[in-house]
Amino acid sequence: MAATKANGSADAPIEVSSAPAVIGINFGNSYASIAVLNKEENADCIANEDGERQIACAIAFHGEEMYIGNQAKHQLVKNSQNTIIGFRNLLGKKFSEIPADKPTNSAPVIQHPDLPDTAAYKVQVLQPAPTPLPTSKVTSAAATPSASNVATPRSEPTPTTRILTVSEVTTIFLKSLVQSAEDFLGRKVHGVVITIPTWFGDEQKKALEEAAKDAGVAVLQLLEEAGAAVVATTSAPRSDKDTLGEDRTQLVVDLGASGLELSLLSVRQGLAYSLATLSDHTVGGDAIDDRLIKFFAKEFTKKTKTPLTVAPATEPQDKRAEAKLRLAVEHTKRTLSASTGAATCSVESLKDGLDFTGAINRLRFDMEMRPIYDHVYKQVQVLASSAGLDLYDIDEVVYVGGSASLPGLDEALAAGLSEDVVTPFTAGTVVGGGVGDPTTLLARGAVLQAKLLATLGEGSAEEREVKAAFAPGHALQSVKATTRTLGLLFPEEGAENALGGQWVPVVLRETALPARRAVRLDVEVGEGARVGFEVWEAKEGVKITKEAPPKLEGDEDEEDEEEEEIETKEKTLEKEAFLAALTLEAHKARKVDGRLRTTLEVQFLVNEAGGLAITAVEADGGEKVTLAIAPAS
Amino acid sequence: MSHVVELPVVAPPTPAGWTPPATTGQSIAPVVERKLIPAGPAYLAHVKRAVHQLSFEEHDK
Ligand SMILES: Nc1ncnc2c1ncn2[C@@H]1O[C@H](COP(=O)(O)OP(=O)(O)OP(=O)(O)O)[C@@H](O)[C@H]1O
Ligand SMILES: [Mg+2]
Repeated sequence: MAATKANGSADAPIEVSSAPAVIGINFGNSYASIAVLNKEENADCIANEDGERQIACAIAFHGEEMYIGNQAKHQLVKNSQNTIIGFRNLLGKKFSEIPADKPTNSAPVIQHPDLPDTAAYKVQVLQPAPTPLPTSKVTSAAATPSASNVATPRSEPTPTTRILTVSEVTTIFLKSLVQSAEDFLGRKVHGVVITIPTWFGDEQKKALEEAAKDAGVAVLQLLEEAGAAVVATTSAPRSDKDTLGEDRTQLVVDLGASGLELSLLSVRQGLAYSLATLSDHTVGGDAIDDRLIKFFAKEFTKKTKTPLTVAPATEPQDKRAEAKLRLAVEHTKRTLSASTGAATCSVESLKDGLDFTGAINRLRFDMEMRPIYDHVYKQVQVLASSAGLDLYDIDEVVYVGGSASLPGLDEALAAGLSEDVVTPFTAGTVVGGGVGDPTTLLARGAVLQAKLLATLGEGSAEEREVKAAFAPGHALQSVKATTRTLGLLFPEEGAENALGGQWVPVVLRETALPARRAVRLDVEVGEGARVGFEVWEAKEGVKITKEAPPKLEGDEDEEDEEEEEIETKEKTLEKEAFLAALTLEAHKARKVDGRLRTTLEVQFLVNEAGGLAITAVEADGGEKVTLAIAPAS
Repeated sequence: MSHVVELPVVAPPTPAGWTPPATTGQSIAPVVERKLIPAGPAYLAHVKRAVHQLSFEEHDK
């Protein structure tokens, strides 16, 4: 097998952790990836023996060979009937539940000949003949004068039909991933966390768990993709440069091959839940490919005067050319993501024996993809409003999935988000396999979760209970959460804002309970050495003002009547409910720039029922006051 | 306290004319049901506190 070094190489092995070997697998419908723990116990995405970090979820049979991964995908050109793809999405589904309408350019899904209502694939393989040779041949050979002592040739392998269920295919595939990890680690893998899409139901989970078991690996958890994203993004060490608070609203944009998955998450000191999700199968890498291969097919025709119609193609020759182009643009897209220069697309003998080499730069590419980016943007708007939020409420964007590596997508989204929003592109963590790399993020999150689960004991009843809380639907996953932001208002003489003072948010809305938050800040001390503040619930909003664009002088162009209004957004804050007021006597004030100042520490503790306990202390042993507010009865 | 967030804020001096408004007995707004994602150290801490019935302070130790 010739190794394709398209996306990395296994040449520079990392030093791996010595703890019990656990791995994380991102199991997409199109691509999978594997992550392990390095010596520092951090997550690293590894390449398989073919040098692939993004391993195509494909299995192909050719003669006596079985190919797995990107090599199998290449069989789609000439050996499509024996190439199996798209099996992840069929896991746990009955044959009768699978829509039959789609024509495939790969091994078709059939009803298993023996098992009732079971989806399977039928492939042609060559069954190797058993060695040593059958005796009949030996008998005939013995009758012939012996001419040489060359080993008797193996008899011809026999062509046979092989039926594989979706589960069997999954097992073969997972086994090869685990094997790659074991080869890399040099020891047996003890447990794995596998990521699953949000739409996976109980049947899908059960089928995946069984397939993994058959592959000989213990599943520590099937983890929702959004969960893997949270783990990966919240466990990166925080630096002083971090502008993101530990309490934030996170948008996860997963643009894979066949679809878009959006999640809006409340992330509060690493504790996360979903506010809204949305999935859309009209955009994704496949749709990007459609546009890109059309673009190149047009170029081919222009250059060679040979007609070529793709996406969709009808003529067999065009279909073959389309398959080749689809494989080739993988490289083009990755180049476009990785660098700002032009990217090429080369196909040998694309059609009628004519080779093709084309190029596209990022500007042009983004122009071609604009409808897709815009569509994603619209869906993000739909998602936010379904959660009752505005795009400006989003603090962080996390990109997941191969197609989310495209910088043009981030540019298109960022245009509608708050200026303060943090994305891996603005933070510079995408390139070079950084922590924000969308193609490795899920596998890395999965292995970090595997590490956490591997530390859990099972000795006592309580330990077992803790462990059980990671199973789907466990009662401890149900929580109460706040609906309004709680904070401090320091009244101010002649304050200019509508609030009448300085606002300090403490517990944000959508914080899971029980919650504890504490802040430390300086307060100026006025006459009487009294420090006082109010506790309020606030209502956050976004004010949108629309204005007609300024008329340019001398602009007498009457034709563009429908000039778009300019929209400006501004975050707003209103006092909603007064809860309490606290005062302290400042004993520890110090002089800073000629003015008295002291340091205050205020803690809010909100219990499950919604009761609030406030503690305020003047730092360094000053006065301490407490106050409790009962929950609504 | 390791969980304390340092804010780069200097609050204004309390105006001499400010009198703390009387507490009205108002509670925080009604809470809602949510489903936590069972992942990460924060979820583990949440579960441990619940299972061992620990307060935040007890769990800190
Ligand atoms: N660096 C890159 N730049 C642009 N596109 C990429 C890059 N890497 C991979 N892709 C594309 O991303 C898609 C695969 O994404 P991903 O691995 O997230 O899919 P998946 O989750 O397995 O698939 P699906 O969305 O069908 O479930 C493919 O279309 C691939 O061509
Ligand atoms: Mg995916």
